[in-house]
Amino acid sequence: MSVAELKERHEAATAAVDSLRERLRQKRQMLLDNDLVGYSRTQGRAAISFSSTDLVCCRTLQGHTGKVYSLDWSPERNRIVSASQDGRLIVWNALTSQKTHAIKLPCAWVMTCAFSPNGQSVASGGLDSGCSIFNLNFQIDRDGNIPVARFLSGHKGYVSSCQYVPDDETHLVTGSGDQTCILWDVTTGQRLSVFGGEFPSGHTADVLSISINGSNSKMFVSGSCDSTARLWDARIASRAVHTFHGHKGDVNTVKFFPDGQRFGTGSDDGACRLFDVRTGHQLQVYQQQQQQGDNSADSPIVTSIAFSISGRLLFAAYSNGNCYVWDTLVGKVVLNLGAVQNSHEGRISCLGLSADGSALCTGSWDRTLKIWAFGGHRRVM
Amino acid sequence: MGCLCSKQKPVRTSDAEENAKAAEIEKRIAQEATAEKHIQKVLLLGAGESGKSTIFKQIRLLFQTGFDEAELRSYIPVIHANVFQTIKILYDGAKEFAQNETDSLKYVVSLENKETLSRGNLIQVPDCAQYFMKSLRRVSDANYVPTKEDVLYARIRTTGVAEIQFRRASFLFQPRGREQEERGVYKLFDAGGQRNERRKWIHLFEGYDQALFEDETKNRMMETKALFDWVLKQPCFEKTSFMLFLNKFDIFEEKALKVPLSVCEWFKDYQPVSSGKQEVEHAYEFVKKKFEELYFQSSGPERVDRVFKIYRTTALDQKLIKKTIKLVDETLRRRNLLEAGLL
Repeated sequence: MSVAELKERHEAATAAVDSLRERLRQKRQMLLDNDLVGYSRTQGRAAISFSSTDLVCCRTLQGHTGKVYSLDWSPERNRIVSASQDGRLIVWNALTSQKTHAIKLPCAWVMTCAFSPNGQSVASGGLDSGCSIFNLNFQIDRDGNIPVARFLSGHKGYVSSCQYVPDDETHLVTGSGDQTCILWDVTTGQRLSVFGGEFPSGHTADVLSISINGSNSKMFVSGSCDSTARLWDARIASRAVHTFHGHKGDVNTVKFFPDGQRFGTGSDDGACRLFDVRTGHQLQVYQQQQQQGDNSADSPIVTSIAFSISGRLLFAAYSNGNCYVWDTLVGKVVLNLGAVQNSHEGRISCLGLSADGSALCTGSWDRTLKIWAFGGHRRVM
Repeated sequence: MGCLCSKQKPVRTSDAEENAKAAEIEKRIAQEATAEKHIQKVLLLGAGESGKSTIFKQIRLLFQTGFDEAELRSYIPVIHANVFQTIKILYDGAKEFAQNETDSLKYVVSLENKETLSRGNLIQVPDCAQYFMKSLRRVSDANYVPTKEDVLYARIRTTGVAEIQFRRASFLFQPRGREQEERGVYKLFDAGGQRNERRKWIHLFEGYDQALFEDETKNRMMETKALFDWVLKQPCFEKTSFMLFLNKFDIFEEKALKVPLSVCEWFKDYQPVSSGKQEVEHAYEFVKKKFEELYFQSSGPERVDRVFKIYRTTALDQKLIKKTIKLVDETLRRRNLLEAGLL
């Protein structure tokens, strides 16, 4: 068969796939008779009252000499690890805001960091196309650095995101610019499963973010530059369980809802979406209406999201320094952390909720991290 | 049998320990930050095969200790792989050419038959092909040790981020006759090996100067034009200086006389005026002007403080590279003095 004929057949096949996809989308649209907000309205739900005294910045963590790109809370003991453009990982004591460890990374371009379930190790990944594991109990060497305990190599592109499997010290999932996700055995450095890549149902562009289901650690979701989020079963690497369409730009961040039945996504198109795992439907879009009315290139993109412990609140950070707190049921913004006193002076690149849900930490391009605590009569939401 | 007891550490002591540790960490961070301040950081960008890795090798030869015998030997598998790659490409190319011609013997690949190689611009023959094919017997010898030049030509794709640091002694004429020998420290980074969405990690390099490499010969011109345009518009590079290296000038010289410049879409409106060396100069000036136009088009009025310079290079020519780096050094220093308000 000649090259020209192959090309023709390829084009015909692509057209067939596109038209099938369109039919699927229309069918879904027909079945989608309501969204979360519509339903809540019929139930008579009102927005919760939330004022700027309910969430207060109680700590500012300073010390990074470059933009903060990523942060993660330890599962207990209230510590935070943060990664920055200056090529360092810093581990902070969140209660006293003191630094307990500062690790100068062998490759300065780090994009993600994560705490291990027992809080003894941290992992980081970036442009070196691999994930470095550091044991915090190791002796520091003459320069004051902790040596790399293990380096997970195998990705063919930058590592954009990494997370330990909950309650499992030995397994880690990474998402990468080479369009795949990998499940690793940390003790041996082996790749246990590769999700995507050669297999047809993988992402078709860089994977930017992953999130493991807290209630069922065999499932995880990944978000990518191909505008989709994909749900994976860690036991079946050959095909994604489901692909979620809807966004019109890179999906920068994905996060499972606390009960593990849904997950949220944030994208370059400025919107956050809530998807249901069982039906594969989109439940809700959270998007601020454009004030100016034109879709200029300056519309803010969503950089990072997190859910409160009950799921009632969705925290979303944007590239213009805003950090909206959405009421997920009613679909309204109840607070903008970017506009309160003491807020960040630059883009907020990452945020995360502590394990007990009582505090939110945000990391920004202004080189600091801020811890926000629920104040007043609210302890946890 | 025994008794084990431990004294509860008084809370104050453990606090003091934490404080001391934290202070130690902060001191170290401050020290490292000042140490890094005087390092000039440059990011090399450019299409694949435009010559970035060759610059790295040149720098090793010029400013560092060069390559020792073990390292030279380590390039043998790379060079052999390059030869095999070339042969395979020539073989596939010959098959394709022969398909459309009746005299299929014309394209048989052998040491003497250069017919396929001469059509090199239609198939993707790597630039090192000519060089290694000429020295096939030498390269395949059992006791072969690659020369420095061989190493410069050896081609291997960069993965991850490559970095190299070097110092250059230079004299800078300061006002009031205070001539000082200053050791400029440079750190070059090449992230070209990433084959993915550059926009998702390019912001990591904000604050670095940019050196854009352009291979003048391949059809990658359009790719580089797009890259250049895109990089200029990035908000994180508003204050960044740009140096454009029009590389592989030696190959450009050869090709400019054989293939008209107007073959490339961007240079559609090119008119040759003369021939020989003058023509090459004219063609080069034309390309240079096109890039300058693109630069000014893509830079808004608020970016006038940026420095933009174009250099003509041949990455394989050591003397030329040394001279170019000297020029670059002077430009950057002048820029730094200007910023510091001293000039």
